[in-house]
Amino acid sequence: MSEQQLVAILPHILLSALILIQMMVIAFARNLMTTVVISVIALILTGLAFMPAHSLIPIAVTPLIVLDGYAIFYSGLILMSATAVTLMAYDYFKDRGERQDEFFMLLLLATLGALILVCSSHFASLILGLELLGVSLYTMISYPQKGLLTLEAALKYLILSGVSSTFILFGTALIYAISGSLGFAELATIGSAENGTSELFLAAGSALIFGGIMFKLSLAPFHMWTPDVYEGAPAPVTAFVATVSKGAIFAITLRLFTSSGLIETSSILTGLSIVAILSMLAGNLLALRQDNVKRILAYSSIAHLGYLMVAFITAGMIGGKALAVESSSYFLFAYFITTLGAFGVVTIVSLRDHEKDAGDISYYEGLFWHRPLLAMMFTLTLLSLAGIPLTVGFIGKFYIFTAGVTTTLWLLLLAVIAGSGIGLFYYLRIIFAMTKRTDAGASEIEIPLAGGWAVAAISAAMLLFGIYPAPIINLINNLVSSIA
Amino acid sequence: MSIELFPFYVAATVSLVSTLLAVSRYSPTHALIYFIISLLATAVVFFLLGAPFAAVLEIMVYAGAIVVLFLFVVMMLNLGSRGDELAHQWLKPKMWIMPSILCLILFFELVYVLSGTSTPITGTAVSPKEVGIQLFGPYVLAVEIASMLLLAALVGAYHLGRRYLSDTRGQS
Repeated sequence: MSEQQLVAILPHILLSALILIQMMVIAFARNLMTTVVISVIALILTGLAFMPAHSLIPIAVTPLIVLDGYAIFYSGLILMSATAVTLMAYDYFKDRGERQDEFFMLLLLATLGALILVCSSHFASLILGLELLGVSLYTMISYPQKGLLTLEAALKYLILSGVSSTFILFGTALIYAISGSLGFAELATIGSAENGTSELFLAAGSALIFGGIMFKLSLAPFHMWTPDVYEGAPAPVTAFVATVSKGAIFAITLRLFTSSGLIETSSILTGLSIVAILSMLAGNLLALRQDNVKRILAYSSIAHLGYLMVAFITAGMIGGKALAVESSSYFLFAYFITTLGAFGVVTIVSLRDHEKDAGDISYYEGLFWHRPLLAMMFTLTLLSLAGIPLTVGFIGKFYIFTAGVTTTLWLLLLAVIAGSGIGLFYYLRIIFAMTKRTDAGASEIEIPLAGGWAVAAISAAMLLFGIYPAPIINLINNLVSSIA
Repeated sequence: MSIELFPFYVAATVSLVSTLLAVSRYSPTHALIYFIISLLATAVVFFLLGAPFAAVLEIMVYAGAIVVLFLFVVMMLNLGSRGDELAHQWLKPKMWIMPSILCLILFFELVYVLSGTSTPITGTAVSPKEVGIQLFGPYVLAVEIASMLLLAALVGAYHLGRRYLSDTRGQS
């Protein structure tokens, strides 16, 4: 490996080294504060380590890894979310008994997996990154080991994630059988060759890969696990599953299917459209009858991934690739900070009760009267999820719309509109619950320092980039267009 | 079907049959035995495809190490005297007939293949040395990522197992 290539993967090397250092510190001097400080330093240093690589992009490091602007943008998003989750998790775990240090190590390992995922250019690194993310998450979901809900969540995630990984592996094997290569770029040459058998293999392989990925992205009809896992997992872990895990997997899917040209198969696009419409409708309709905030957010995330698929489908249309990458990147940015804000508030409200998380909507009743600031932030995140103007969620949805209109995907746009309309109902329901005058619900909530600042910063970003989105759009145009 | 492909189809059939039997058995011990046969059959398929190293690893790592771990877990579930009865029921001589047949098929196939010419049915044979060169050449990062994956699994297993151990110790 040349010097330049080493510089390019410096962030990954640095993060791995710091994980090992953290492990040694945990082994010899167990102290939660130290562990968390090492975690935050590791995440920040990893982010800074992308600076020297910036002048080298795009650069391929062995056949497995490619570092380009797209990878850097998503790595930045992942590191930002991981930092926010670390701060939330510190508040969440600090009063819940001893031996919580390993959680932060697993969090860093999962982040490393996500970082590898977004810059992989080869099926081997895709599957390894996916598994590194998944294996860390199994333990993170079941980390508190309290109650049947957590156990159920962890078991469901373990089995379904394992099954979906085998789907992806089998699809990869089929594609390898016909193409003889595992690199994404090499696939592009095979895909264009007109040949009946190879087309069949490629279609079957990509369908299987998509099946596995739809499980991981919780798109309908593969969404059954989502509400249970969201409800059972500790709130910070849910935030991590909703943002880092899904975002990284979406990023690599978009890279895989645009750089290999597999997306241009029309049968895949039809299937994807059905999945997108189902996700938008099922997610929003199923959320209507829920009384649990975590479950509502789970269904809302199913619907949001459905919106995101509209941008993804755009990538398969003629002339839509650049717009698809731009719109899905902005939408994911909006989705990341909004979801982090929502689960940040859920984490803070959950601090009161160590036995179970603040799922039920009654926890939030009267929040406006007792903790007005927290309630304001939660209102802001919910409005952003609903896509109300002046929030970042509006710009995200606007982008999806633009992408859909440009490539004339009318049916999908109809589903986006219907879904957003239904969605308003259950977001407003939570807001109404917060305005109820009651003494029972939210009276004893203490706002912690780390998590409080994290949520405040996220809310500020949500408002700022909702009113003035230009910096992010410029950033996306500069970096992300590299794969389009 | 050409004659060269015949061993492949035999091994593939054995692997399919034994896997189906493994997932449809009621008792875990029976399922494990069929699972071992399925792995052996897969190893034969690997060998036929020109990957003797993968075949050996399949037997050593899966049929050897992992299945032994499974057996340990089944043993440690500690079913007591009822468990002993069950074990006697499960390990009746009659239940060995089917696994033995499948194993014998594989054995004769292996003898047949080894006595013939040693060219793989498709592609070229890959020696362990070539595998090593690949792993430490272009795929060196994959090895490193896999090591972090193992670290994550190890820390996770440690955390989940520790609580279980301290709970059971506290009760006894």
